[in-house]
Amino acid sequence: MKRFEEKWTAWLDDQLSGRELSDFEASLPDKATAQAEKADAKKLGELLKRELGAHALTNDEFFNHQLREKIVQENRGSSKIPTSTWWTIPRLLWAGAASLAIFLIFTFAVMQEKNPAEESQYLTQILNARVDPVVSPNASVSIFEVKQDRVTVLWTEGLQSLPADYAAK
Amino acid sequence: MSVAPALQAAETVWSGLVMAENVSQPQPIPPELIRIEGLLKRFFGYDQFQVIGHSQKVLRTGQEDWLATSKFFGLHVDARGERQGGYVLNLKLYKEKELLLETEAKLSKRSPLVIKGPQVGGGQLLLVLVVQ
Repeated sequence: MKRFEEKWTAWLDDQLSGRELSDFEASLPDKATAQAEKADAKKLGELLKRELGAHALTNDEFFNHQLREKIVQENRGSSKIPTSTWWTIPRLLWAGAASLAIFLIFTFAVMQEKNPAEESQYLTQILNARVDPVVSPNASVSIFEVKQDRVTVLWTEGLQSLPADYAAK
Repeated sequence: MSVAPALQAAETVWSGLVMAENVSQPQPIPPELIRIEGLLKRFFGYDQFQVIGHSQKVLRTGQEDWLATSKFFGLHVDARGERQGGYVLNLKLYKEKELLLETEAKLSKRSPLVIKGPQVGGGQLLLVLVVQ
């Protein structure tokens, strides 16, 4: 029985030849029906091959797709951990506090830059100065704004020197 | 609008002729100069400062003029109005009748003015103006 099935399958697949083929075909009770079955089996085989081939391609793609999905998920999973932990509420608070501190530092720096200019308006200003060139021909004047003491000094050099008697009250 | 500065200008300007010297036993600094004592010593390098002539002028209109004198020096101050927190002053330093120095300054109410005058003997004549 088994042997017939094996031969039947081999005959359907055109695997029999020579004496084995003629003996098998001679043993068939209805050769025409068998030939029709063989043709049907071939058609079915071709159909299955075609369909199975298409499925196999689809499965490959599906597998690849699944694999990619898994890789993406794993990547997401691995990158999700630090992302989710980084922007926690305490970290957000720290970031806000740090931003505020930076803003205040810059504001303070700008105010410091601005203050000297404003402060100089409160210092006494020398608008002009003149030394009599006849009395003191080599005299010169310089202006110092001593911001530390909020004092303005008009510094003269080369004025005519006078004897100590001139210090009298 | 010109009334406002006049009402606000009731402030006193102290003008002094100051002799700065180095002596073995310095006298205490005059009270008018206490505020700038550190600067005077540091900047001019003397340890004694004595007022040889001064004037205290109350400014009401900001247009007053006055004179601070010693025996040989005279400081003429001519106020030319109040402007942006200070008084515009024309200053002339005379040695007897000889003009040694002329300057124009905006004297701030918060900032004294010190002018280095001529060398006198071993010391230095300084002119100091302070809004009190």
